[in-house]
Amino acid sequence: MPRIDADLKLDFKDVLLRPKRSSLRSRAEVDLERTFTFRNSKQTYSGIPIIVANMDTVGTFEMAAVMSQHSMFTAVHKHYSLDDWKLFAANHPECLQHVAVSSGSGQSDLEKMSSILEAVPQVKFICLDVANGYSEHFVEFVKLVRAKFPEHTIMAGNVVTGEMVEELILSGADIIKVGVGPGSVCTTRTKTGVGYPQLSAVIECADSAHGLKGHIISDGGCTCPGDVAKAFGAGADFVMLGGMFSGHTECAGEVIERNGQKLKLFYGMSSETAMKKHAGGVAEYRASEGKTVEVPYKGDVENTILDILGGLRSTCTYVGAAKLKELSRRATFIRVTQQHNTVFS
Amino acid sequence: MPHIDNDVKLDFKDVLLRPKRSTLKSRSEVDLTRSFSFRNSKQMYTGVPIIAANMDTVGTFEMAKVLCKFSLFTAVHKHYRLDQWQEFASQNPEPHFSHSIWLPAQAQALRTLSSWNRSWKLFPRNTCLDVANGYSEHFVEFVKDVRKRFPQHTIMAGNVVTGEMVEELILSGADIIKVGIGPGSVCTTRKKTGVGYPQLSAVMECADAAHGLKGHIISDGGCSCPGDVAKAFGAGADFVMLGGMLAGHSESGGELIERDGKKYKLFYGMSSEMAMKKYAGGVAEYRASEGKTVEVPFKGDVEHTIRDILGGIRSTCTYVGAAKLKELSRRTTFIRVTQQMNPIFSDEH
Repeated sequence: MPRIDADLKLDFKDVLLRPKRSSLRSRAEVDLERTFTFRNSKQTYSGIPIIVANMDTVGTFEMAAVMSQHSMFTAVHKHYSLDDWKLFAANHPECLQHVAVSSGSGQSDLEKMSSILEAVPQVKFICLDVANGYSEHFVEFVKLVRAKFPEHTIMAGNVVTGEMVEELILSGADIIKVGVGPGSVCTTRTKTGVGYPQLSAVIECADSAHGLKGHIISDGGCTCPGDVAKAFGAGADFVMLGGMFSGHTECAGEVIERNGQKLKLFYGMSSETAMKKHAGGVAEYRASEGKTVEVPYKGDVENTILDILGGLRSTCTYVGAAKLKELSRRATFIRVTQQHNTVFS
Repeated sequence: MPHIDNDVKLDFKDVLLRPKRSTLKSRSEVDLTRSFSFRNSKQMYTGVPIIAANMDTVGTFEMAKVLCKFSLFTAVHKHYRLDQWQEFASQNPEPHFSHSIWLPAQAQALRTLSSWNRSWKLFPRNTCLDVANGYSEHFVEFVKDVRKRFPQHTIMAGNVVTGEMVEELILSGADIIKVGIGPGSVCTTRKKTGVGYPQLSAVMECADAAHGLKGHIISDGGCSCPGDVAKAFGAGADFVMLGGMLAGHSESGGELIERDGKKYKLFYGMSSEMAMKKYAGGVAEYRASEGKTVEVPFKGDVEHTIRDILGGIRSTCTYVGAAKLKELSRRTTFIRVTQQMNPIFSDEH
């Protein structure tokens, strides 16, 4: 008989952070940088732990160039060629410490990634991304990549439960991507019925990872700076954003003009749009698990970055965290039925 | 590991008041006036405890003139100059009038405060100390400082949402604590920071803490209709502060906008980009704006809105059998609901 887990699992929208006494005078005093030493690669990294998702619309070189100015990270999508990478490395050597090369678990992906890492040795991060991090095949793949690249920091996912976080860390991954189906252009939950509310997933996975001195990324589900703060509060070491960074100048794709409104395309990497673009169409045996939307054009990503970082600093002052690192220790979530007053929404 | 408080906290929209047997014959018998004696200033005050918020669009001198006719309060916004205050005071010398004005103060303005001291003698002794985050140690010190300089002024301070901080501010010298983080209609703090507390639960918990020390609280924000004001009083609020419900009137700040035959007035949060541009020259690099700007339909004179609110509360009192506003919270039983009203003919959400 199927089992029902009666504990209610929570999303960002189900909670708010409770304010706490604080000795901070101004939000300008808050330090958002973190320094990590990774479990398996033994590498050390310092930066503001927000990552642009490895989607071909947002995880672009143009985005990486802006992000690195703020010490933020970009998981560059896997569809750039070796030559594209060489050119980028030559033009933007200062960015390379803040980017990862992405790969799926296929042979051709692995070969391309290996050639990029060989050509651009300054890149120290690998992002191994599959829709379903639960497959035995993926665990074997992580072990293979670890053996091949013993000193690179490996991000791997996606999973949503503690035991799989532990398995991937013990197989050689350093940072586990957490999230199945929370993204704004992800339709996995409607297509498959599978998923896990993001806040609970982050709390549970962070607990497992930190027990092994591993780290996690909360990947997906953030719709506003407050959600980013909640993800950090829940224990995420990094937060990955796709939709919130979509629609900017630095995103791939043309600006569309219709009825005087400017728009940009944004889509999931398992959507029909992406599969047509990169795989020649949706294979017969599978459904697309993403959608395609036109988002209003938002201009340069710089403004969005300042808005997110300003929001996070404000959160930290509200709960009395002088550093981002302290946020989860100072976080008490209260359960709510609505996020905000909707009178003028 | 972060802590989750599993009790679900409630907003006004999550509850309704349960009617109770009542001996009142008519709602005209209901007395909405309350008298308070404040804990630290020892001052007395009598009036209908509804306050226009200290936002530059709502907390205007024009609003104060009308509200005082109904014995309502106005927390005048902090952006009037001293000479504007002097002019206003000379035109409105009636003693009852001065009782319903709350002077603004602000951490950064402490030095100006003492220079204002003389002009304050024109007014009785009410000060509103308002910061976005009442949890900072710095603010507690500021409240103590103001209390020392102005021992007989009634001090409102906020904003906070939890009992322990209400107690701290009262013990530091505040008389009335403003309760509410993020519930306002033009406040985006919850979206920008993830921080906040559902207003009904915040009021119930904070009122309990304040009343235990003979202090008082203001429910600040989140009221979208007279029923919400009644719920705030029912939950234990001594005062209810309104921004959005009083926006868009003749007495509100800002110009009337006309477009496509419709009239609007601007309303915005005091941490919105609009307000920061107006008063601080823009949004500082290290911060995000935490408010929005909206155009609200022009509603005419505020007098009608006031009658509507007061009429609604009188009706609430008769439904639950409270002859005085003071009895409302004692007579209150909230029931949890999933919808407020039948939405069939509603153009709102």
